[in-house]
Amino acid sequence: MTTATALRPRSELSRAQARVGYLFIIPTSVLYFTFVLAPVVVTAILAFTYFDPLRGTKWVGLDNFIRFFTDRRSLQIFWNTLRFAFFAVTFNVSVGLILALALNRAMPGWLLYFFRLAFFLPVIIAAAFVAIVWSYFYGDDLGVINYYLRLIGLPGVHWLTDSANAMTSILIMDVWKNTGFFMVIFIAALQGVPKNIIEAAVMDGTPAWRRFFRITLPWISPVVFFCNVYCSIGALQVFESIVILTQGGPGDATRSLSILIVEEGFGSYEIGYAAAISVSMTLLILVITGIQQIVSRRLVQQ
Amino acid sequence: MFKLSRRSFVLSSAALAASTSIGGAYAQSNDTATLQLAGFGGDAEATAIGHAIERFNKKYPNVKVELQMDPISTGWGDYVTKVLGQFNAGAPADVYGTAIETFQAFASRDLFLPLDDYVKANPEFSDFAPSLLDQSKYKGKQIYIPIGWNNIMINYNRDLFDKAGVAYPKDGNWTWDEFREVAKKLTIKDGSGTVTQYGYEVPNQNFFIQPWLFSNGTGALNADWTGSNMLDPKVAESLQFLHDLIHVDGSSPIPGSGAPMDNQFFAGQVAMISRGHWIVQGAKTNGVNMDIANVPSKTSPDTVIGFGGYAVSKTAARPDLAQALITELTSAETQIEEGVGGGGVPGRKSAAEDPAFGEFPPSAGLYYASLPNTKAVPSPANFQEVEKIFIRYYTAIMADEVSIADGVKQAHDELEASFARLKAAS
Repeated sequence: MTTATALRPRSELSRAQARVGYLFIIPTSVLYFTFVLAPVVVTAILAFTYFDPLRGTKWVGLDNFIRFFTDRRSLQIFWNTLRFAFFAVTFNVSVGLILALALNRAMPGWLLYFFRLAFFLPVIIAAAFVAIVWSYFYGDDLGVINYYLRLIGLPGVHWLTDSANAMTSILIMDVWKNTGFFMVIFIAALQGVPKNIIEAAVMDGTPAWRRFFRITLPWISPVVFFCNVYCSIGALQVFESIVILTQGGPGDATRSLSILIVEEGFGSYEIGYAAAISVSMTLLILVITGIQQIVSRRLVQQ
Repeated sequence: MFKLSRRSFVLSSAALAASTSIGGAYAQSNDTATLQLAGFGGDAEATAIGHAIERFNKKYPNVKVELQMDPISTGWGDYVTKVLGQFNAGAPADVYGTAIETFQAFASRDLFLPLDDYVKANPEFSDFAPSLLDQSKYKGKQIYIPIGWNNIMINYNRDLFDKAGVAYPKDGNWTWDEFREVAKKLTIKDGSGTVTQYGYEVPNQNFFIQPWLFSNGTGALNADWTGSNMLDPKVAESLQFLHDLIHVDGSSPIPGSGAPMDNQFFAGQVAMISRGHWIVQGAKTNGVNMDIANVPSKTSPDTVIGFGGYAVSKTAARPDLAQALITELTSAETQIEEGVGGGGVPGRKSAAEDPAFGEFPPSAGLYYASLPNTKAVPSPANFQEVEKIFIRYYTAIMADEVSIADGVKQAHDELEASFARLKAAS
């Protein structure tokens, strides 16, 4: 059958349709190859070179990767990135879900919109601007938070200048900034949970926590999965908020892989080395997303 | 030969016109060309450069100058990357303005024309401090023509000194110990122990930190910028001094905490701050009763200097016109305008002595007077990497994340590895 289908002469009409079809996909294909695929391939090639045409570009094999994986800084920066991503995903998604649950109830319309706007507002403010404002909050002696802490008799905290606190401080700002986005997505998902099932459970006397874990959460689990993947990809690429708050310091305490890539590639003109770190980071994101996919098969209700 | 004599003619007439300020009576050139000019800086520089181009166009009405300004908001490393990208793409500008931090990065890649003949043909360049012209050379060749410069001074709020009953540094000179005592006296805490006014801001930028090494007769790199000098015990001594200002005296916050403290200085929350001439504009705008003093000395009066310069691209189609443009960009008029606007201390002595420049702060004369005691900010071809390594360990040391002994050792190892890579690449 297959052979017969393949050998069947194509009609003039189907040929014309095919031509039109190809014409339709040409613009997007050209854009995709030029701006997505080509840069990826070029980056992968650059990762094996010392790139500086004005001094002479050289093929250096695995040198850039060896440098990255043997540099004592890499492990800490790698760990910083993973740690930030883990906590950013956990808190952004869970706080977003809690806020959505809190707002997904009967209340006056204006109050509902007020709360939604209040929690969503930080999402639409530029991260650079937000980070500058938070840097004033986090100041050691002249900072707003320490001022109020001392006012109630508590000692001030080195929010950004102590490696034990710096990452937490950035996380707090990140959650404040981004959790509203997930809240809005969860509100939409919660409105899709069939009311009749919930009402039946209420009539059966099912406690609220069990209704949530047995009905609501399974129902919205695909959305939770999407939020996890979306948030972790963003968190693994965290850049501007850290740069503005701590410049990656103190020392390397808050430096992320993205910051390292930009510093090496555009600050030090170590293009090949930056490309090698980019390739490593892409592989890391692929692995993490893959793990999430595998876990989701068991947890997400289809 | 023809080209040389023609260029000399053009340049000498341009110099004559600039120095005698003959309004509108220039011998106009019929040259037709387009020059790409890459400048850097903020409003002060953009305005002054715009006026310089207008003057240039009076002599060369048919030469179009296309100006692209870079605010250098993300540091010199990004600027180097941008310029190298333009050369790699085969679309460089004809004239580049840049700063000493990048001089070797560009010159070691042979991007610019030597300007020795041009300087010889322009006797009025003798108005520049000789050290500036010397430091604009690479391997004995004049690659850059200097413009405004900045040396780091201690800027202090005179009102806060008066309030605390502390005398101003006599003739702008003091020692480390005297400075430390003053910083302590100017630090004020409220009842809850919160510091409401710091005596000093221990700096968090490479350029601002250098005076604390130079004034102790040392530096982060060796004298010819080819390797690390971090293991010199004097480096540790300087770092210890700054560390003590923070952790023993409490006269300064930990560098890097919160936003840069220029605004706190303007608001009277920090009494002293290490900055260059550019802070003058902000002080004027905010009505700060500010003056300047030399960097306190331990074993040496040296402070750090950084300055800008113009260079002509090797790919320039009309180097003669590019040089004529530089004559205008480095003229006394341009330098006075940039200096008064807050774009640095004029490289020309005549411009620095202009009354408009010396109006504020009261000791503005110290800028030029301190010039003999300045050392260039260490700027090897791998400056971008060196700066980052140094700052990373410096902030970690100041935040007590790593001991001074371990910090200088680790910084030394990383600096040496960077210099080894540079050697291998070139």
